[in-house]
Amino acid sequence: MTFNPHLLRDAFPILATQANDQPLVYLDNAATTQKPTQVLNALLNYYQTSNANVHRGAHYLSDRATGQFEQARTQVARFINAPANSHVIWTKGATEAINMVAYGLEWQLKAGDEILITSLEHHANLVPWQQLAFRTGARLRILPLTSKGEWEPEYEHYFNKHTRILACTHISNALGVHTPLTHLLSCAKAVGALTLIDGSQAVAHETIDVAALDCDFYVFSGHKMYGPTGIGVLYGKAHALDILTPYQTGGEMVRHVSYNSTEFNDLPFRLEAGTPHIEGAIGLAAACEFLAQLDRSAVQTWEQQLAAWVYNELRFDTRIELYSPEQGSTMVSLGVPGIHLIDLNTYLDSQGIAVRAGSHCAHPLMAQLGVTGTLRASFACYNTLAEAQHFCSVLLDAIEILSDD
Amino acid sequence: MIDTKLIKQRLQACTSKEATFKELVNLSKQLARLSESDKTEDNKVKGCESAVWLIEHQENGVCTFQADSDAKLMRGVLMVILSLVNGYSKAELQRRDLVAELGEFNLSSYLTSSRTNGILTILKQVQAN
Repeated sequence: MTFNPHLLRDAFPILATQANDQPLVYLDNAATTQKPTQVLNALLNYYQTSNANVHRGAHYLSDRATGQFEQARTQVARFINAPANSHVIWTKGATEAINMVAYGLEWQLKAGDEILITSLEHHANLVPWQQLAFRTGARLRILPLTSKGEWEPEYEHYFNKHTRILACTHISNALGVHTPLTHLLSCAKAVGALTLIDGSQAVAHETIDVAALDCDFYVFSGHKMYGPTGIGVLYGKAHALDILTPYQTGGEMVRHVSYNSTEFNDLPFRLEAGTPHIEGAIGLAAACEFLAQLDRSAVQTWEQQLAAWVYNELRFDTRIELYSPEQGSTMVSLGVPGIHLIDLNTYLDSQGIAVRAGSHCAHPLMAQLGVTGTLRASFACYNTLAEAQHFCSVLLDAIEILSDD
Repeated sequence: MIDTKLIKQRLQACTSKEATFKELVNLSKQLARLSESDKTEDNKVKGCESAVWLIEHQENGVCTFQADSDAKLMRGVLMVILSLVNGYSKAELQRRDLVAELGEFNLSSYLTSSRTNGILTILKQVQAN
């Protein structure tokens, strides 16, 4: 354990919070991460020095704002190794990005086509495809993945000549398990399907290289990677973005408008109607800078070690069911049969520990596990071993108290 | 039925959160559980994080409530609430400030804001005609 999270904690003022009279232990990072001062200052600085609308007014502030906004796009493009700025489309978050693709591709689909997702998806990467299937008569198919992220060779037939789209998560938000991306992507490519990866749970933890992945679309939310809420990214290859019908129309996305017709602007603007979330983009770029300063692989190893530490601490406790993998995950997902998740959560909260109890927006996956939900402790770069230990000891106290029948 | 004063004394005597939670678990054991057939959608209280069912009976102007939940701590709180509200007329219940009365039970470590919302709904339902 070489990485030292204590050196980072000062950069996150909120971590000094007293929650219910106890020091806050924030282990709900898969829902949203806390923000470093670097990001907070970028937001404040933008409004204090550069606030103006972008891409139009020819005046000093507008030039400044536009410069910073487009610089942010460059930084994010570099952060995910996109070949050019025009491949980075700003969105509200991963959910909007997926919806943009699902709406944008509607004209490409017809009855008999197949949309393939996996059984580990968040509702955000399920419902837009299901609704697209309803609208077009296409068929939504679910590739069964185990809770370890594995799949059987007999499922190869899920990729066939009807498969038009593969949409799959990079890492499960409920279990922390990686999907077999390389294999899935190569199967999808072999049948000529478009590919979309939901990277929401990956961006904060590992280096994303969209060029190496060679997927058509990659989406993520800024707030899960130390950035502000309300900003996210749709990355797409040029040909993939080109075939999307704009999901919204209006200002900014046009070149020329008459009452009879509209000529749309080029990428990325064609897919960004209206005044964008300027400070969000700038804040997200600051989050990329924050991450770029870190030894990313050391951070990921640290986060995985914390999860593994908790896993090992709890694995032999017969009262506890563990659903996350033993290794390679930055979260621990568990249940205690006979004890209500809300009761556990309430007890942990009373001790200042923030976790998530529930279905994690993945009802079908919970059904596959045979549970209504799990308790999820998810780690970020600023979490310490003492926090992991405290979580385990308070959880065991809670189980002790709540098992009394 | 356990009387309110005793419950209040025992909860007020809790000096730590652990003790309060243990007391709630103790109280939960004394709650008469509802039969599965009574746990209907109609009897469900909306807006609680856990499932809560509340049934009202009135006889000679006196209200009696039965309640249940799938969460143990909530069953403990329901026991407190039932001890407060059972055996009164609707008019009496409506005159009382039940939120303030519940506040005297030293449950702040349990009554987090989101859950309080559910409890407020239960209390409102108890007072509703």
